[in-house]
Amino acid sequence: MLELRELEVSYGKRKVLHGINLNMKRGESLAIVGGSGGGKTTLGLSIMGLVEGTVRGEILLDGTNLVAVPEKALRKIRWNQIAMVFQNVENALNPVYTVLDQVSEPIVAHNLRDRYDAKRRAEELMKMVNLPEGRFLAYPHQLSGGEKQRVLIAMALANDPDLIIMDEPTTALDALTKVEIINLICNVRNERELTILLLTHDLYAASMLSDRMAVLYAGRILESGFTPALLSNPRHPYTRGLIRCYPNMTTTKDLQGIKGMMEFLDTGCPFHPRCTQSIGICREKAPKLEENDGRFIACHRGGIIPLLEVRDVSKTFDSVKAIDSIDLTLYEGETLALVGESGSGKTTTAKTVIGLFEATEGQMYLEGKRILDRDKNFYRRVQMIFQNPMEALSHRLSVQEAVKEPLDIQKLGNREQRESMVRHILEEVELPSTQSFMNKYPHQLSQGEAQRVGIARALILNPKLLIADEPTSALDASTQAKVVKLLLNLQEKRGIGMLFITHNLALARKISDRLAVMLKGNIVEEGPSNEIISSPLHPYTEDLLKAAPTLSANVPVVPTNNKNDGQGCPYANRCSKATEVCFKEKPKLQSCSSHRVACMNLKPEKEG
Amino acid sequence: MLTPNMHNNYWRELTRNNFGKLGLVLLCLVLVIAIFAPFLARYDPGEPSHSILMPPSLAHWLGTNDIGQDIWSRLLCGAKNTLLVALGVGVFTTILSTVIGASAALVGGLYDKILMRVIDALIVIPAFIVIILVAAYVLPNVWTLIFLISILTWQGGARLVRAQTLSLKERMSVYAARTFGANKLYLVIRHIIPDLNPILFAVFIHSATRGVFMEAGLAFLGIADISTVSWGLMMHHALRFYYLDVWKWWLIPTGLALSATIMALVFIGHAFETAMDPRLREMEQEEWQC
Repeated sequence: MLELRELEVSYGKRKVLHGINLNMKRGESLAIVGGSGGGKTTLGLSIMGLVEGTVRGEILLDGTNLVAVPEKALRKIRWNQIAMVFQNVENALNPVYTVLDQVSEPIVAHNLRDRYDAKRRAEELMKMVNLPEGRFLAYPHQLSGGEKQRVLIAMALANDPDLIIMDEPTTALDALTKVEIINLICNVRNERELTILLLTHDLYAASMLSDRMAVLYAGRILESGFTPALLSNPRHPYTRGLIRCYPNMTTTKDLQGIKGMMEFLDTGCPFHPRCTQSIGICREKAPKLEENDGRFIACHRGGIIPLLEVRDVSKTFDSVKAIDSIDLTLYEGETLALVGESGSGKTTTAKTVIGLFEATEGQMYLEGKRILDRDKNFYRRVQMIFQNPMEALSHRLSVQEAVKEPLDIQKLGNREQRESMVRHILEEVELPSTQSFMNKYPHQLSQGEAQRVGIARALILNPKLLIADEPTSALDASTQAKVVKLLLNLQEKRGIGMLFITHNLALARKISDRLAVMLKGNIVEEGPSNEIISSPLHPYTEDLLKAAPTLSANVPVVPTNNKNDGQGCPYANRCSKATEVCFKEKPKLQSCSSHRVACMNLKPEKEG
Repeated sequence: MLTPNMHNNYWRELTRNNFGKLGLVLLCLVLVIAIFAPFLARYDPGEPSHSILMPPSLAHWLGTNDIGQDIWSRLLCGAKNTLLVALGVGVFTTILSTVIGASAALVGGLYDKILMRVIDALIVIPAFIVIILVAAYVLPNVWTLIFLISILTWQGGARLVRAQTLSLKERMSVYAARTFGANKLYLVIRHIIPDLNPILFAVFIHSATRGVFMEAGLAFLGIADISTVSWGLMMHHALRFYYLDVWKWWLIPTGLALSATIMALVFIGHAFETAMDPRLREMEQEEWQC
């Protein structure tokens, strides 16, 4: 129904929209999301023919190119075929007319009915949008924000258009009013088979109101796809950033922003200055929006890249299988938390990835390339934070020497450069960079300081992958909170992929995007953190959640650890749902909704 | 087992301990004597004269021996020989122990296994007897003797160094250095050797003591190059005149000098061990408090 082809809008020399291609079917709802200043409103106005700048490209409404249509004809189309709910509810209404007059205005203006009929029609519409009857003759300043929004929607519906462009219809509203408006839009849409183009930065409204979503950034569409898939599995770094900084009740991870500020760039990918995985080409050429696995993504790297892939890796010590063919993927800029009781093979996994242990079986890939030998280059990209900061620091190195050691080993820079890098990184991990602090020895530091020094050591080489092995378990809660915040900030700034190992599920949910639950060297459940926390599928995960710290006074009942026969499911002995087959056969990790779970009991459910 | 702990100032610990102080003072005394012997000696220690077996007098403070050499001068010059043996055996044995022990621990595998079996085999060979046998054919001068003693007594030290290296290389700080891309050479030079230092010092003191003791013992049995001026050899000669009164100024001063040197080394070793072992240190402190 509506198709945009290579739409470009510029104000003077400044290009605000670059080559937008969009396609909407009748009755469909498309949400354009993105930060403010990204060109959403300009896009809406250009479809309405109201934009003041120069428009190039084609806007096809049922085959008519609106760009070529003269203003006179355009007026007929406006409000009759395309209507717009303007953003700024305060200014969109004329303060000297009653709202009834204003809603009837487009009907009268287009000569559809006479003034009296138009008012009746307007009253109908206002009833439909649930404006209280006594309010029809009110002036805009007498209405609340939600009521004004209803009036604007009624106005847009006045001439029964096919397409409504809604610009931030819910933004300034409180939560309950927002839900009311969303319900209203849903109802109207169902009744009239409206096509809705929603322009918003409110992901909640977008998720409720749209079938498809397109992410607009600095005048370009970076990602588009079906709304639920796009929200649960964003594939462009910007989309992920948007979701991360949107406070909501679904995600459990702490809010994270996107570094830097939006800029309109003429060359290169508009997002590259803020992107943590940009490479040379990103600066030079703007990526095209291309289909990739059911999603349209404009990224030279094909969206968020898998940073670390662990495929069927096993590690055997003599005859003990410490880890048993585990399979993990960690994406760029993401935290994958590895949780499980002690002895479940978490640390072995960490040490195998970093190369302190050699894997007995399986392969590992870093940024898509197989890890064959771990040379200095490898360690520049992969670093580790150790559990006990005091042990990991040599007692004979001062803070300065300890932080400088990675640079010495890697032979980076000269003496002065190294020293200035040390000072810089110390500031970044929020430690004093004074000479007196740098001359301290580990035993003169507090645990929290020592761990920060450990983090500084790991970060000074600017790694892409950080393996954190219980980095906070030796710290008290307040220090832990600071260190965790620090790590999340650094992730935001540098796009570090983190493999975070912890036995603390409560901590894991605050910092991880994905969770993998380990038990006796096996991964028994894996999936997005919020879903694992809210609906665990494996009995072991359930028990771990029961045992996770809460501030209520209930003592949880968890099964005690017995010896395992080794043959069957590693949790069979403790599982309340274990059946005979659980003791005989080991379940395989299989996909189940968005998780991967290894449990016998889930099999029939899935097949049935 | 000696466990070096965080950031001890060993020198301070050593001087704080009374035994350590005594040992250091004695050793310094011997050292001063050895250095200034040429100025302090009144006669050439190797020069024979016609006045034989003289009792102490103003001319010869400790009398003369059977071929008329001045015993006082020989006593002073003997210090040099003893210290040379101590230093030589100490250094040489420590180097052998370090190279063999550390490399066995770091390389591991078959190399380690073979070396450990070799050490097991060598450790049962009584060094003293082998040296007597060898010395029976070649009367060893001081360098040969140092070499012989070292080559036959490094095994214990090597075992100690190996054990310590094995534990050091499992330290998290060494692991951490590995995760920065450090190669083995860097780890050995920057992390393992510095942390081995206390144990190397212990090995050094221990083998120096044994070196002095063995040299003296061998010389006492007459197994030494006669031209060397050695306390052991002096005692060996003195014993032949036990029926005369000479032992009073010939045997006893020499024996005392030798004992003092050995005691100095043993005291330093003991104080050092106390300094490094926190449990021993506590016991010591309790004793002081009582």
